[in-house]
Amino acid sequence: MLRIDGLTASIEGNRILDGLDLQIGAGEVHAIMGPNGAGKSTLSNVLAGREGYEVSGSVTLDGADLLALAPEERAAAGVFLAFQYPVEIPGVGNMYFLRTAVNAVRRARGRDEFDAMGFLAEAKEHMARLDIDPAFLSRSVNDGFSGGEKKRNEVLQMTMLEPRLAILDETDSGLDIDALRLVADGIERLRGPERAMLVITHYPRLLELVRPDRVHVLQDGRIARSGDHTLAHELEAEGYGRAPADAAAAVAG
Amino acid sequence: MTGAALLDRLAPAGAVDAAGPGALAARAWLATHGLPDPKDEAWRYTPVDQIVARLHEVVGAAVLDGGRDDDVDLATVDALAGDHGGPRLVFVDGLYRPRLSGPGLVAAGVWCGNLADLPDRRAAQGAALPPPDELARFDGFEALNRAAGPDAAVVLVDAGVVAGAPVHVVHLATGHPHAAVGHPRTVVKVAEAAEVTVVETFAGIAPADAPARSRSADDAAPTGPVTNAATTIVIGPGARVTHHRVQAEAAGAVHVGHTRVVQAAGSHLRSVSVMAGAAVARHALDVGLHGPGARADLDGLYVPSGHQRHDTVVTVDHAASDCTSTQRFRGVIDDEARGSFGGHVIVRAGTTGTDADQSNRNLVLTRSAQADTRPWLEILADDVRCTHGATVGRLDDDALFYLRSRGIPHDEARAMLVRAFVDEIVATIEPASLRAVVSALTPGGAS
Repeated sequence: MLRIDGLTASIEGNRILDGLDLQIGAGEVHAIMGPNGAGKSTLSNVLAGREGYEVSGSVTLDGADLLALAPEERAAAGVFLAFQYPVEIPGVGNMYFLRTAVNAVRRARGRDEFDAMGFLAEAKEHMARLDIDPAFLSRSVNDGFSGGEKKRNEVLQMTMLEPRLAILDETDSGLDIDALRLVADGIERLRGPERAMLVITHYPRLLELVRPDRVHVLQDGRIARSGDHTLAHELEAEGYGRAPADAAAAVAG
Repeated sequence: MTGAALLDRLAPAGAVDAAGPGALAARAWLATHGLPDPKDEAWRYTPVDQIVARLHEVVGAAVLDGGRDDDVDLATVDALAGDHGGPRLVFVDGLYRPRLSGPGLVAAGVWCGNLADLPDRRAAQGAALPPPDELARFDGFEALNRAAGPDAAVVLVDAGVVAGAPVHVVHLATGHPHAAVGHPRTVVKVAEAAEVTVVETFAGIAPADAPARSRSADDAAPTGPVTNAATTIVIGPGARVTHHRVQAEAAGAVHVGHTRVVQAAGSHLRSVSVMAGAAVARHALDVGLHGPGARADLDGLYVPSGHQRHDTVVTVDHAASDCTSTQRFRGVIDDEARGSFGGHVIVRAGTTGTDADQSNRNLVLTRSAQADTRPWLEILADDVRCTHGATVGRLDDDALFYLRSRGIPHDEARAMLVRAFVDEIVATIEPASLRAVVSALTPGGAS
């Protein structure tokens, strides 16, 4: 469903992604781990369409060329990025924002838009599952939210936008164990045959709650190792130390 | 045309004589001091040369025999100015139009109408000149307004009276060649412990072929009528006034406005100044806190786009002790426009307990848009709390990307962010009918 071939990305002349290849099939959950500076956040930004990178290579979702699309067009095509640092937007109401986003995506996908009442009912149902206070809707987007509230707001948006490809960029960082469990439940509920998921994380903790089909190590801008879910535990025990040798072998090969 | 000849055309000596001693004094002041020029510090950010050039152009071009309102109907007034449920006084090209006005029901103890209709028993209240110590900051346009404007909107509120529904004063410029210069004037006097809300709307009827927005360099100079407005508000001890001023002149117009407020002890002013229209516009808001414990809360928005120039110049004079003033002015500057703000706070020697706060934030939407901000604190006393802050920034790229990544199209996302910026002011505007008008005039659309 998602196919990435030879993806490179540079910012101000620094190459951060350097020939990355990755394929994720429908219904699969893949995890990407890797040391700081390996390019994990750059990968998620480039997939979501953030400006400021020089990008080459190819990325297709259901055969459509993602790199040719604006961020909002990618969202309509089914890309969702849960931000590592969700942006605070004072003055824009959370409910107004959510409804505008959900309806823009529904409109683009040829579906009926929600009216105000229908949207509220839908939102409240999802919020109850994520243990989000209803007062949350009347606040400004992420403004003054705690770290956990921001991450739950990301999962709420992800749930309501019904993505084809969900990318979670360190959604587990800064969460206590209860919040982590809520977020993991939210992710598990979205897991299904119609959807691919890419979970970017530093820690295997989330991967115990959301067991990935494949685990990849991103290092020096490309996938250095891949394996099943046990790789996450190996990495925890051994660190990423082995990977540079692999990368060197790959270059030599 | 020389300055003297211009004066003779705009304020003929005979007519001024008939308008009374105040007008005569103003004409004499103008003959001595003349109109401001580009070297004038208070006019630093206003292209005053363009304004004076436009004055010469329109005055030289036609016989100025006053306005006609044949093609202005109530529907036009409603569409341009709105209806806020209270009495509405409508002036077209500076002349009162009873046909378009609805004095409405006003509380006992409130009088509003045209200066010429003022009952004898209230004549003394109608005098419009500021106190002598205010004349130091008089300028040529204000003098011209007093010398040339035959009619004036007058709002008088007796002691202890709460006026209820807002009094709406509407000044329309038709742009007809014979009425290409207008001098609208409003006088508000509120006695001890009384309360009133006054809304002033300045709007223009754009010629059918005028572009709504000018983008090419050739369109930068003003091509429309010149409105030279002056408002005087005198607030008695313990009285409360809310004053909303909406400048929504037609594209190409010139707007020069002065609002002069004199506050007595314990009085309160809440003022909102919105600048949306015209090619070149300036609003000078001059507040004198003359009695202890007076408070002025001054808010404003300017939203120039295309080649518009909007200049807001605020002066707050803390002339008495224990007075409070707040200034909260926001600018959104688009295209190749320029928006300027100058905020002058004076704290007089010998006063104590002054609390003055000033904040000016600007959102600059393009590389060619320009914002100027100039705080000027002149503090001549010791026991003072004065704060000021000014920012000029661009739209937050992270926020824009966040919204777009959720599927919200670029233009809609941009509008949401601009709306959030102006809503800090717009959301506080009452009544709701006026909030809707301002919302529609400011970028980001209605929320």
